[in-house]
Amino acid sequence: MIRWAHHALRGLRAHDSLLGRLGLAWLLLLVVVALCAPLAGYPVGADVDLSQASQGMSGRHPLGTDHLGRDTFARLALACRAFTGPGLLAGLVALTAVPTGALAGMHGGWVAHLTRYVAGVVASVPRFVLVLLLLTIYGNTPTVLGLAIGLAYVPELAEAVRARVEGLRVADFVLASRAHGVPEGRLLWLHLVLGATNQLVARHLIRVFAFTVVVESTLAYLGGFGVQEPQPSWGNLLVFEWGRGLGPQVIAPAAALLITLAACAAAAGFVGGRRHAG
Amino acid sequence: MTRVVVTRGAWAALTLLGAVGFSFALVVWAPGDPIDLLPNADAVRPTLEARWRLDQSPLQRMASWWRLLLAGDLGTSLSYRPGAPVWEVIRQPVVATGLRVLAALAVAITTGSVLALRTGGQRRSRTRLLVQLASLAPLFLLAHGAVAVLNEGAFALMQAGWMGRPGWFALPDQASLLRSSLAIGLLAVGSSSLHEVHAEIEHAVAHLQESPFVDAARARGEATWPLLLRHLLPTACSVAASRVGWLLGGSVVVEKLLLLPGAGAVLWNAALLRDYEVVLGLTLVAATAVVVARLLADLARVWLDPRLRASA
Repeated sequence: MIRWAHHALRGLRAHDSLLGRLGLAWLLLLVVVALCAPLAGYPVGADVDLSQASQGMSGRHPLGTDHLGRDTFARLALACRAFTGPGLLAGLVALTAVPTGALAGMHGGWVAHLTRYVAGVVASVPRFVLVLLLLTIYGNTPTVLGLAIGLAYVPELAEAVRARVEGLRVADFVLASRAHGVPEGRLLWLHLVLGATNQLVARHLIRVFAFTVVVESTLAYLGGFGVQEPQPSWGNLLVFEWGRGLGPQVIAPAAALLITLAACAAAAGFVGGRRHAG
Repeated sequence: MTRVVVTRGAWAALTLLGAVGFSFALVVWAPGDPIDLLPNADAVRPTLEARWRLDQSPLQRMASWWRLLLAGDLGTSLSYRPGAPVWEVIRQPVVATGLRVLAALAVAITTGSVLALRTGGQRRSRTRLLVQLASLAPLFLLAHGAVAVLNEGAFALMQAGWMGRPGWFALPDQASLLRSSLAIGLLAVGSSSLHEVHAEIEHAVAHLQESPFVDAARARGEATWPLLLRHLLPTACSVAASRVGWLLGGSVVVEKLLLLPGAGAVLWNAALLRDYEVVLGLTLVAATAVVVARLLADLARVWLDPRLRASA
């Protein structure tokens, strides 16, 4: 297990970049906030206080209040729950693409054809449309959202892993390992999957997370699907104060969203390294 | 070339059939139906189930769908516009969205190419950073910002007396030209479309700059850009095809936000009403667009690149 972790993490830390580190740190911070925010006991749904409506920044309300007097800062922090859960779930679902892609790349032939075909079929439905279709059919819950996004990303990741493993099938170190009698399964799992595709997989997982953030906030912004009032989401925080000027109530969720997406882009570049761009 | 057309065409057709089967299967085994959303669901259930054929077994429903589809019929709308043929419901919106997506593709490809050619394929240029930043924001945030700027700007102009106030009864018209062009611009830049297009083309330009024939042209003192443009065509084709899905997804957001009539808005509203027939119809159209775009890009690559033509 420890050796697997070593293989999977080797190379991920080799590329030094301050921006990338900051990006990863921001994403970790979001997960921590999502876990800890509910502990503060902010009464979601019972927090309307019209005497405090549309306040500016103050000690009591660091980011002001919306036009129902609800604290923007608390709701901003609580809104992290809306995408971290589905984002992590989507990442787990997308990971199923790794063994599939690796097997297809290693064996070639009909396995590879079948994987490519299935990937092509799923990829032919636009991602946002597929997510919307699945939410319509299986209900508008965070679990379905996570599963749908993960499923929508499986083809791309499987195809990327297949291409990488196929490219390495006749690499010197693979031939050498075979000549040394390394068992086929161990070669595939340890050297090809954990060792050679880890950066690729990590980069895709961060993209899946970024896509979840975008889709979740978009759905909540448009209303109807996604998180519903009074539950907070960065999307519905933004639309709730629509047309009421540019106070911290609007700028804060927009900035949080932009920073998170920038952090994802920086982190993806960081774990992806520069040698294997693409 | 004929063989390439036949094999790629067959593969595309198979993929499309798979996509149809995949979406049918998803809908047929769905745990809920549009009747659940009605306030008097229990009372009308027997009638509506019979009329909408929801009481048949999943396999029967799938078989009747396939029969209809092979006859060129996309079915009948359930709750979005009850009783209307799906094709009638979605025809005009699909055309509107299709044109918008094509225009957005053209804008993205042109802008991306011009920017990439200007920087000459240098990596990590300032342009690249700017493009990346612009394409980072989700579509709804871009649209929100654009609309806010337009609104506040118009209001400021009116306050300053530079622009007449609209009359009291100036009701919003159907899709105005301004909103349509705004939608096209947003689609072209948003959901990282411009970034992806620019990055791909820049990569190709960098590769071409180092190739011997461009060097030779440079040595002869000729302009290199006609050569570059011609050799960028295959890349432009494939990157355009790869963005079609994104733009179709993005048009749902943009149409919903800017209140434009189009396939995306219909998809969203029909999905809220769980009108599976309309949603399926639009999914099929979207899948067809993606598959056909990919096929055309593939064929264009083979046709444009003599090396691929020879190996085919």
